[in-house]
Amino acid sequence: MLNSIILSYITFAYFFSFFFYLLMMVMHKEAFGRLATSITLAGFFGHTFAIVLRWIESYQLGIGRAPLSNLYESLIFFAWTMILLYIIVEWKTKNKSVGAFIAPIAFLTMAYASFSPAISSRIQPLIPALKSNWLIAHVITCFFGYAAFALAFALSMMFLLKKLDSPERKNLFLRIIPDSWLLDELSYQMVVIGFLFLTLGILTGSVWAYSAWGAYWQWDPKETWSLITWLVYAALLHSRMVRGWKGNKLATLSIIGFCCVIFTYLGVNYLPGLHSYAKS
Amino acid sequence: MARNGTVSKRTPPFLWSTFSSIKLTIFLLILVAVTSILGTLIPQQESAMKVVQSLSPSLVGFLDSLHLFDMYHSWWFRLIIGALALNLIVCSLDRFSSTLKRFRFTPSATREKPFENLPSEQRFLLQASFDSVTNHVGTLLKSKYKNVKRVDKEKTAFYFVQKGRLSHFGVYLVHFSVLLILLGGFAGSLFGFEAFVNILEGEGVDTVTLRKTRALKPLPFSVRCDKFSVEFYPNGTPKEYRSDLVFFKDGRIAFQSPLRVNHPITFEGITFYQSSYGTLPGNRVRLSLKREDTGDNAFVEAEINQPFPLPGREGEGLITEIKSDFMRMGPAVRLEIQPVAGEKIQMWVFKNHSMIEERFPGIFEKFPKLNPASFKPYTFFLNGTEARYYTGLQVSRDPGVPLVWTGFVTIIVGLFITFFLSHRMIWIQVSRLEKGVNVALAGTSSKNSVGLSREIGRLIAQIRGTMDDIPSSC
Ligand code: HEM
Repeated sequence: MLNSIILSYITFAYFFSFFFYLLMMVMHKEAFGRLATSITLAGFFGHTFAIVLRWIESYQLGIGRAPLSNLYESLIFFAWTMILLYIIVEWKTKNKSVGAFIAPIAFLTMAYASFSPAISSRIQPLIPALKSNWLIAHVITCFFGYAAFALAFALSMMFLLKKLDSPERKNLFLRIIPDSWLLDELSYQMVVIGFLFLTLGILTGSVWAYSAWGAYWQWDPKETWSLITWLVYAALLHSRMVRGWKGNKLATLSIIGFCCVIFTYLGVNYLPGLHSYAKS
Repeated sequence: MARNGTVSKRTPPFLWSTFSSIKLTIFLLILVAVTSILGTLIPQQESAMKVVQSLSPSLVGFLDSLHLFDMYHSWWFRLIIGALALNLIVCSLDRFSSTLKRFRFTPSATREKPFENLPSEQRFLLQASFDSVTNHVGTLLKSKYKNVKRVDKEKTAFYFVQKGRLSHFGVYLVHFSVLLILLGGFAGSLFGFEAFVNILEGEGVDTVTLRKTRALKPLPFSVRCDKFSVEFYPNGTPKEYRSDLVFFKDGRIAFQSPLRVNHPITFEGITFYQSSYGTLPGNRVRLSLKREDTGDNAFVEAEINQPFPLPGREGEGLITEIKSDFMRMGPAVRLEIQPVAGEKIQMWVFKNHSMIEERFPGIFEKFPKLNPASFKPYTFFLNGTEARYYTGLQVSRDPGVPLVWTGFVTIIVGLFITFFLSHRMIWIQVSRLEKGVNVALAGTSSKNSVGLSREIGRLIAQIRGTMDDIPSSC
């Protein structure tokens, strides 16, 4: 299908934006940064176009459904939300260095979707259990949450890297990373957005499960891991809001949180028991 | 001594001080997260059965003594959740009075403290009359804030406005919602049930089987499935399962509706979900009878336990059992022949006769019970059994669901308030100077200082913007 061919090219676009963001940081040249931003924007528009095209193509196949229902589509959407949030962050902060950390995550996500032999990009019709507007709301909110956590993760990594910087050390790469307080604040804001969306994601997911199976919570591994992720970020928020923790401890918690996100999303498939998603 | 006395009076009881600690909260949140991991590594409930056989008995005994095969319903996991809930309640009560104080407290309009270290752009001089500036500031503030406080002292007018005081309660709404959801879950496990039932097409039931105990539970009404249907996509994946259900109350039809996946039906507080389906052999079979002597072929449609005459009046046939898969050799029926004179003869008649003959040559001759030719001169063949669909329904009642749904809505509202709204207080001083009118704005915010400075920036622009229209007197 045309959409998946376009999407596999978008993968390379994000690789090149990563490459030029990196070049900008190493060579300290604004021009590379501008180039990277242009590629990212172009990639994002192509990405959006391909998702819409996939939707249209599903109608042409007589299936007609939103492109948000299998692993391939969710990976594509995950990368899309990450890039969208990143573009907003770059535009708001006028700082391009975050791009060097988030673009590779988007690139890897797209590459995994497009080139892993285990993942089919075919548009398959929906089994009855997946035909639900709650499911669409669930996928959209979850992945906005995941994308915000991915940005918080990138910002936390940058925070820890920035610690290595000092005036004596004339490292251009480290110099260009924004000040620690800004990273800390931004990463906290991303966690806040992510937490709100993850909460919405878990809630819409349980409403869907209730309408499909008659139980809103069954402690299956996927549900449980989403709760674990939620608890880790709740602990992070409390330690910041109430105990006033900042800096290293918070960055570490944010990194642990993102590992939980990835495990909830992909790792759970290797555990005994199946998410209801795959059960029916 | 006296000093000790006062300390012990002020020190809250041990339990209270433990449970009002936010450190405990963080610890418990992490504890729930870490223990939950165990349950995703060790198969739970039904899936545990399969794994248990491959483990050593002592390990199984150990895991079982810790309830690790159903840990989310174990006493110790519930204890942790209970501690978290108690922690939440105690903390909220503990801090509520100080939150209420912050909510109620209105600071004086003439406070000077917010103006210490004021950024220079928040203090500016206007070339206009004092009255026109205060009029303008007064109407501007009234159009934007509910209560505008003004105090005049000597040559200065002091204004104070605030908004978002209610945002202090956002946290309580979030915590309350968490408790509501836990309470809903608890109510569901106490007063609800989860069961399932299979209904054959055309038949009705008035009991269901409980999932936990496998006990039968009577329903206060009966349900009949008139028809079950499956639709497929061209590629063979199922598209839709549908059961046409009819609910009977006191012998009369009370409600009828199709049930589809993702579209449950609730009747008298009990909810039905389409969850599976299958087929069972029905009551009717088709046999073909071949006469060896004449080579004639006859067909018979027979119903279970209803005798039918043999074509040549040699006796009566009777189907006594129908199996959809007999001894792994496919559909079969047990046929009983009562000849006009003599002993009853019993045999199994298979549908896949020739295939079985191929796989086990001579099997039919060896075992008279399996030989379809044991009543001369006939050889019996099974042409087909009628298949009947049954629909598999999940049946449950969960009185906690309304609480949980309410908690879902309020937790989102609460999170929004907590994260995105803040209590902002703004002080404005308008002073008459010789050179003109001096205006200064200062503010504080419970959080989100970026939003506050944006709000102050807008106020400054609005005050200056209109004032610049007034012709300056210099
Ligand atoms: C798992 C459920 C939660 C538990 C057990 C929990 C527990 C607590 C406790 C014990 C406190 C200290 C007492 C208090 O200030 O009222 C607290 C404070 C707080 N919690 Fe939670 N909480 C939970 C969920 C959340 C969530 C989801 C948020 C989302 C923002 C949140 C936001 C806050 C805030 C902002 C405070 C500080 C309140 C203050 O300083 O007055 N809590 N939490």
